[in-house]
Amino acid sequence: MGVPRFELLEPVTYEEASRLISAHETIPLAGGTAIISMMRQRLFNPSHIVSLHKISGLGGVSPAKSGGLSIGAMATLRSVEIHPAVRSQYPLLSETLSSVANVRVRWSATVGGNLAHGDYRLDPPGALIALGARVRLGSARGERELQLEDFFRGFFETAKEDDEIILGVDLPPTDEEASGHYLKFTSHASADWPCVGVAVYIKENFSGKCESARVVLTAAAQTPLLLEGVDEILSGEAVTEAAAQKVADLTHSQLDSIEDSSGSTWYKREIAPVLVRRALLEAARRKPKARDERRKN
Amino acid sequence: MTRESIEWSVVGHDVLRLDGPAKVRGVQRYLADKVFPGALHLALARSTHPHAKILRVDTRAAGGVPGVAAVFTGENLLAVHGVRPCYGPAFRDQPILAFGKVRYAGEPIAAVAAENREAAEEAAALIEAEYEELPHVQNPFEAAQHGAPLLHDSLEPAGAFADLMALKGHPGTNICTHYKQRQGDAEKALAEADHVLEDTYTCPPVSHAHLEPHGAAAWFEPGGRLIVHTTSQTPYFVRGDLAAIFGIALADVRVVVPPLGGSYGGKIYDKLEPLTCLMAKVTSRPVQLHLSREEVFYTSSRHGAATKIWTGIKDGKITARKVEVFYDAGAYAEVGPRIAQKTGSTAPGPYKFPNVSVDAFCVYTNKTPSGPLRGFGVPQLAIAYETHMNKAATILEKDPVALRREYVLEEGDLYSTGSPVTSIGLRACLDSVSRVVEKTSENRPAPTLGPGLTQEKHIARGRGIALGFKSVISPTISNAIVELNSDGSAIVRSATVEMGQGATTAFAQIAAEELGLDVNKVHVTTPDTDQSPYDTLTAGSRSTYHMGNAVIGAARQIREKLLETASEALEIPSEEFELREGRVFSRSLPERAIAIPEIFLKRFGAPGTTLTGEGTFQGHAVKADPETGQTPRMTEHWFAGASGAEVEVDTETGFVKVTRLVSSADVGRAINPRHCVEQVQGAAAMTLGFALFESMRIEDGRLVNGSFLEYPLTAFEDMPREFITDIVENPLESGPYGARGVGETGTMALKPAIVNAIHDAVDIWLKDMPVTPEKVLRAMREASGAAPGKEASGAAPDGEGPK
Repeated sequence: MGVPRFELLEPVTYEEASRLISAHETIPLAGGTAIISMMRQRLFNPSHIVSLHKISGLGGVSPAKSGGLSIGAMATLRSVEIHPAVRSQYPLLSETLSSVANVRVRWSATVGGNLAHGDYRLDPPGALIALGARVRLGSARGERELQLEDFFRGFFETAKEDDEIILGVDLPPTDEEASGHYLKFTSHASADWPCVGVAVYIKENFSGKCESARVVLTAAAQTPLLLEGVDEILSGEAVTEAAAQKVADLTHSQLDSIEDSSGSTWYKREIAPVLVRRALLEAARRKPKARDERRKN
Repeated sequence: MTRESIEWSVVGHDVLRLDGPAKVRGVQRYLADKVFPGALHLALARSTHPHAKILRVDTRAAGGVPGVAAVFTGENLLAVHGVRPCYGPAFRDQPILAFGKVRYAGEPIAAVAAENREAAEEAAALIEAEYEELPHVQNPFEAAQHGAPLLHDSLEPAGAFADLMALKGHPGTNICTHYKQRQGDAEKALAEADHVLEDTYTCPPVSHAHLEPHGAAAWFEPGGRLIVHTTSQTPYFVRGDLAAIFGIALADVRVVVPPLGGSYGGKIYDKLEPLTCLMAKVTSRPVQLHLSREEVFYTSSRHGAATKIWTGIKDGKITARKVEVFYDAGAYAEVGPRIAQKTGSTAPGPYKFPNVSVDAFCVYTNKTPSGPLRGFGVPQLAIAYETHMNKAATILEKDPVALRREYVLEEGDLYSTGSPVTSIGLRACLDSVSRVVEKTSENRPAPTLGPGLTQEKHIARGRGIALGFKSVISPTISNAIVELNSDGSAIVRSATVEMGQGATTAFAQIAAEELGLDVNKVHVTTPDTDQSPYDTLTAGSRSTYHMGNAVIGAARQIREKLLETASEALEIPSEEFELREGRVFSRSLPERAIAIPEIFLKRFGAPGTTLTGEGTFQGHAVKADPETGQTPRMTEHWFAGASGAEVEVDTETGFVKVTRLVSSADVGRAINPRHCVEQVQGAAAMTLGFALFESMRIEDGRLVNGSFLEYPLTAFEDMPREFITDIVENPLESGPYGARGVGETGTMALKPAIVNAIHDAVDIWLKDMPVTPEKVLRAMREASGAAPGKEASGAAPDGEGPK
């Protein structure tokens, strides 16, 4: 079926967009990959849609004041995935984005839209949380920002108020000795939604011991899960199989798994520690190569 | 494939597809590309309940949408004079629009015709219905029991096909067909056996997922003729049924079918045609209907099935085989009764067992109507009989391949239906796959590890093989007309539908071979019942054989005329002639030759005319005894195929990677060897998804994954690293150049080959398809005694077997 009739509003500032969204009780349109599909299926029948496409300053990837990277909400997943700064400094993000759907979807879907959708199965939030991203929100009432792990509140539920628009995400500075890996486990076809995704970001000190590590599970629970207590296990240690297993065991007490078509609560709980262990070991294994590559460049 | 010597010029060669260039360039026009001037667009409102009385359908708001020409409901349908309200190839059980009650969630309850598609869809979304919910039933085994919610109070046989004439249904139950086969005394043999294996295998409904959704356009001409353009595998069935529905002569219905963008059985018999034509009648306008992808899931699916199987073993021999299969017809029977009868007859497997009992049921449930899907119900049986062969081998302490060799049907054997087995290349297929699976590649690449695995310690490897067989749909008829032009080009008129299987290329090759033409000078028409002679249907791998023989018959009539004139002109007896490269010449004196244009001049005295030939071919079968299934001839011929799989099982996640897939198919003689390989590979790739992850998931009577966002399909990354296809050529005496069909052969045995390989790897037997990683891991845990806790039982099962 086609998309039902609606009126397209195209404000040029986010404040105006925020007012229009409130006035028409509707939602903003970014890449449209989720909304248009929902509208075709008549799950969502808005009279008005507020496009964010004409608002300047919401796109692109640029250096952040903090020394990290600032990604505009309207940047498409693909443009971020292949951005030279992302590829060289945040390969975990590039790797994660490359696993999303297909390249046609990625050229349309945006970073902001992806986060705003609040879908627990999406891949990018895992890597962004692992990298310590902060999300910036704006509305007619002003701007605010919060850690991305605090943004996801429940099943398709985020901290974003209805009149708020995601302006972008900020990544803290990267680290020469850092490495990461996103392990996407699909239980059906390779191109399907993940059953469980694990994003791992490890920083090591000069002696090759772990300084800090962040492990995030996606698709496993109602929201992305940032494992707590990882640093207590890994800090000052090498990422060995035994250490990785200890981190993996954290899922037993912290993961409140969700059942969906990709797996039952039992199955997700069973494989989550396996995938955490494997993702950690893979991230640790990759590190020297990544360092070598950076030296070469 | 290497061929030492080929006696033919065109047949047996890897001719490129004649429809290839247009499809590769994107200029092939499919139905949705056609413009139907002035046509109204249709959109449908569908039931939201799986089983409910319709109390009221409110169309007022829909009728008020600007551009809407008509809104039509099932009640309106009953009020139309002279239209038969129900259709179906076996029973007239499916209403053009639901009236009285709905029988599945997604069933059309009303249609809107509007000046544009947007208005039609907007109006359809405004249609509101009130229902009184009825108890619904989804599991075919439960639906077959007395006391289950009843879908149909009575059944009216359609009488459209010879093999379905005697259907009566089983009033008071949801069973629309019960096929029986008895040989010896299976119950006694099971009672006396040393070991009895007993298992139930389940397959869920799955989607054809043809890329092109269903579409149809129709109008009545001022003189009353009905013109229909449609995506159908059965133009002549559609013509006949539309003539009956609207009470007009066969000659007053014209059905035109463009090439289809895939079908696999999903576009067979009536789909959108009755409704589209009805709306053309009530609006007196041309109308067109193009389904969305999501609506395809509400139009057809493959039968889910619960297959109970018993194998009796005594004194080192298999003494008994008993099968009870419950095919899930969904809400309307479509051709399910034929699947129960014809395919049910192959339920014991391709073996010689002394005592056999089969009961095959086709059972109504409250879901999307089921239809054939590349294999006509065989894969739902092969999963049972082929894993049981491996289980029996374990008990008998025999090699599974050796055990199959001991029992496999061979030329001249009597099958358990009492029919002699002829030209069946089962042993050759078995030899082929066992050879390839047994042999390890010398330069074996590094293992394909499971997700996140960097070392092999959690990988278990296994190999498995399986056989499958099928009988060709019989009886059916194909007619062809061939016209040779005076310039040596030819037209083949055939109602066989080109749906990607390459039939048109095969027919062009056959006509070119018979008439000594360049294959590129032969044009094969697309079906148009005003222009193409009768063909029963394009399905069941029957076209190359039946229509191929009809094309030979037609071409040979022309050939005789050419030789007759050449004989007069050259004064050489026609037996001495060869017909090649557009000319007739003497075998002994090749310089004595006459080209086709000259023959035309000699024969007619002027250019411009055509030589026409007409061919007919009819397959035969003898109706089986209803109580025992015994018949001296159950089919026109047989298909044999085998699959071999090598898998790597991730023992920590249950993830199964098929690393090597071997398919072997007996094609008789390959008209086009490359096409044969592609057909078998395509069938295997498609079945891989059905084996590993595809399932139409029903929750609370409603489909929950009816879109490509949620319904998983095989992607390139899921393909095996080694994908081997072996074409076995065991010429079929009655086939065109020895050929038989090939479209389904690769689907039959693939699932059990994978299940047998998983057993080889991790010592578990899986019975519910698809074999998802979760099922593998769960079975491994259960086998090791660490069964998952009770809380885990909340997982939605894919299978729907008896408890």
